[in-house]
Amino acid sequence: MTRGGWLRWGSLAAAALVFAGLYIRNLALPSSGGFAPGEAARAASPAPPLYAAELLPNSSAASVHSATAAEISGGRLRAFWYGGSREGAPDVAIYTSVYSPKEETWSPERAVMTRELAQRQLRRSVRKLGNPVAGRDRAGRLCLFFVSVSVGGWAGSAINLMVSEDEGETWGPSRRLVASPFFNISTLVKGPPLQFADGATGLPVYHEFLGKFGELLRLDALGHVIQKTRLTWGQSSLQPVIVPRSEAEAVGFMRYAGDPPNRILMIRTSDGGAHWSAPVKTALPNPNAAIASALLADGRLLLAFNNAGENREDLSLAISEDSGDTWRVVRRLEGDPGSPGAPVAEYSYPWIVQDRAGEIHVLYTWGRSRIKHVHFNTAWLEERR
Amino acid sequence: MSASDAFGLLGCGVLGLAAVATLIPLRPLPPGARYAVMLAAAFAVFIPFGDLPAAAYLRGITGDVSVTTLILAGAACIARLTGKALIEPRDRQVLYQLLALAAAFLYPFALGWTQFDPYALGYGSVGFVTVLLMVTLSAWRAKLYAVVFIVIAAALAYLAGACESRNLWDYLIDPLVSVCALVRLLSGLRHRLSGKLTQPAG
Repeated sequence: MTRGGWLRWGSLAAAALVFAGLYIRNLALPSSGGFAPGEAARAASPAPPLYAAELLPNSSAASVHSATAAEISGGRLRAFWYGGSREGAPDVAIYTSVYSPKEETWSPERAVMTRELAQRQLRRSVRKLGNPVAGRDRAGRLCLFFVSVSVGGWAGSAINLMVSEDEGETWGPSRRLVASPFFNISTLVKGPPLQFADGATGLPVYHEFLGKFGELLRLDALGHVIQKTRLTWGQSSLQPVIVPRSEAEAVGFMRYAGDPPNRILMIRTSDGGAHWSAPVKTALPNPNAAIASALLADGRLLLAFNNAGENREDLSLAISEDSGDTWRVVRRLEGDPGSPGAPVAEYSYPWIVQDRAGEIHVLYTWGRSRIKHVHFNTAWLEERR
Repeated sequence: MSASDAFGLLGCGVLGLAAVATLIPLRPLPPGARYAVMLAAAFAVFIPFGDLPAAAYLRGITGDVSVTTLILAGAACIARLTGKALIEPRDRQVLYQLLALAAAFLYPFALGWTQFDPYALGYGSVGFVTVLLMVTLSAWRAKLYAVVFIVIAAALAYLAGACESRNLWDYLIDPLVSVCALVRLLSGLRHRLSGKLTQPAG
């Protein structure tokens, strides 16, 4: 056979083999099978109202923000947040601290990720660090997703993942998630991860470059993005928080960055996250600020949000008994007139965890200088005032 | 270092070398000097100074480049060194057209223009693979073997999980090669138009 013949028939044979591989791989992909039910918290038993609050330790950072937390062994809570001289500064690191319910104290904070460490582990330049998000994968390992930026502002963000086998004492090397074809920039994270029935981890993310919209990533056991679904599109919705209610149904809430009226956005799925409804505005206000939500052990939805259309001076809790259709504001965590507040009246970026004992923990940015932890039970939520 | 980190740094490093080979006029130099310049550039790109090599700084900006970019950048380096083009002009022209078409389909929608997200097709769509197969067979029939080779190389890298991404699009195309294709196509069009305008009448 001539050289031209080898080239012609050899390239065809190679293409046939490679495309056979592509078809086999694609046809072998499992379907998700919907959401996996979360580990249920113990339903609240009759108990007296309980409420406590404290500020997390912060010995060095002038500015802190964006707390996240996960329950770890022994009923403890491990929190993460970012702090530094200011938001976006090169000295911003991600800190962690552990709350012991027996001693009712937080351990001294320590940095788990710095810009320099991220740069070495990710093998690329990193300019600044941003939002951390904690959760567990299907194997029960503690996962920490965090935002990093190499060029530009937050629109240049990408998400990274590191995993701990020992409840956050030590961490494996961080790896980059790829979620956008455009230089893999403009993907951020704020909402907690969730589980799919097939063992994949779901991660709600949002984009901020040109458009502002949300997506739900599916990650395999190694942390690779293996599928994604668009939650919204356009210019005005971000920071999705997804709350699965069953294998098929979930409700999501999103921060709103569009034209007034400024309201929290809500989306729904009834096919395990394959398709999502168009966002609708709820009756609750949203001053272009992050929200948090959780499904309580008794089946009601709890929402932590800034109860104002223009500022973050009021942080409140609302309950829905009809899966998000109607809401009742039950408590104000911050912003009561006359109560002592932070030097800067900003209470934002809430994060909710209901522990296995049924107690509810809310962490949030307190005046940009501290992270505050409030914990309470459902009796306190419903207590008549 | 993981295999995907090594592949990512290699892609960005070769891209850096192609930039050096394009910016420095190598052709007037004697062959030995050309290779010495490229060797020095390779050291500068791949050897760390401080925490990271220059390729890692480029990687911070561009992310991992596609296999198409890696091959075109490698071909550009070889062409500058040897004076021999590895990719025929006809293949190159069709490749640029395909890349421009793919970019016009992919990027506006992937950046949130509508609910439809073509990027999600790259995670495992039989339809997407079938379209790619049709394109590859058409290129093969037209004897555009460079195009066929690039698709095969990208698909092989995807099947091997060579990059951080598990999305086939990221192996086929990236914004850099898309912009390059668009610029080359527009530049070719401009030349053709100016050639027609300057042709004597009759």
